[in-house]
Amino acid sequence: MNAHATNARTTAPLLDAESRDWLRALRAGEPGREEAVARLHALLLRAARFEVARRRPGLPHLRGGELDDIALEAADDALVSVLRRLDTFRGLSRFTTWAYKFALLEAAVKLRKRAWQGREVPLAPETWGLFASGGPGPAGEAEQTELIAVLQAAIADVLTPRQRRVLVALALNGVPIDVLAERTGTTRGALYKTLHDARRRLRRHLEERGLSLDDLEEAS
Amino acid sequence: MERPDLKQALGRLLGPAGPEVGCEECFDELDRYVELELSGRDADAAIPGLRAHLDGCPACREEHESLRALVGGDQVL
Repeated sequence: MNAHATNARTTAPLLDAESRDWLRALRAGEPGREEAVARLHALLLRAARFEVARRRPGLPHLRGGELDDIALEAADDALVSVLRRLDTFRGLSRFTTWAYKFALLEAAVKLRKRAWQGREVPLAPETWGLFASGGPGPAGEAEQTELIAVLQAAIADVLTPRQRRVLVALALNGVPIDVLAERTGTTRGALYKTLHDARRRLRRHLEERGLSLDDLEEAS
Repeated sequence: MERPDLKQALGRLLGPAGPEVGCEECFDELDRYVELELSGRDADAAIPGLRAHLDGCPACREEHESLRALVGGDQVL
């Protein structure tokens, strides 16, 4: 594929009128920029509050004031991100949709970190029980025991120590990826790459043993 | 024998089978993907690998659900 042709197709769309107005008003030096930045902040705050409201049922220990503070902080941080990346807006969606995602991301990351504040991040398997819950009887239990043994052996035998820690924390123990990234001093993208490589290696190993995911699901 | 909980657990462990984008590309394309979805167009054909990533990455999946709900709600208003 011609990368330049693709790039040209995806970087020169026709902007809708509203998005064009946003960009014009937010450019440095334009009259009315301050008012446009205030409108953008209000938009981002609305998105951050939307995210907080969606997650509120899972955060019973956080009080309303704390949640408001998190939403405001998320909107502030998103505003900085949006203004800094204004020139990277390609016009492939409406400007408001593009801007919203920064506020949703900031709010979601802050809430995940807050939910795990003070909690140790488990890096060893804690929840093999997920694979054994609600067993259908002795025959099913035997199949599950075998299945868990195959998976445990594969995780122990074919993954690097880093792949094993990341896979176990994220995929078995349910540690949010942002939380693990913060605790281990890396990025979400780098962690997902490690998780992806671990999953690929695990799948390949199972397939080499004549086991596909379909077989494992059937055994369940 | 149906064991949806076990299938889910296996899915979380082994991830999507097909090719997928990473978290950064997912974030870059998420706004376009959501608008394509909401307009009824084929978002998966336009941005290959993003759906698989959403299946494999809970954090990106949550952010996709939120953006879709927020923008979808705006369109209804």
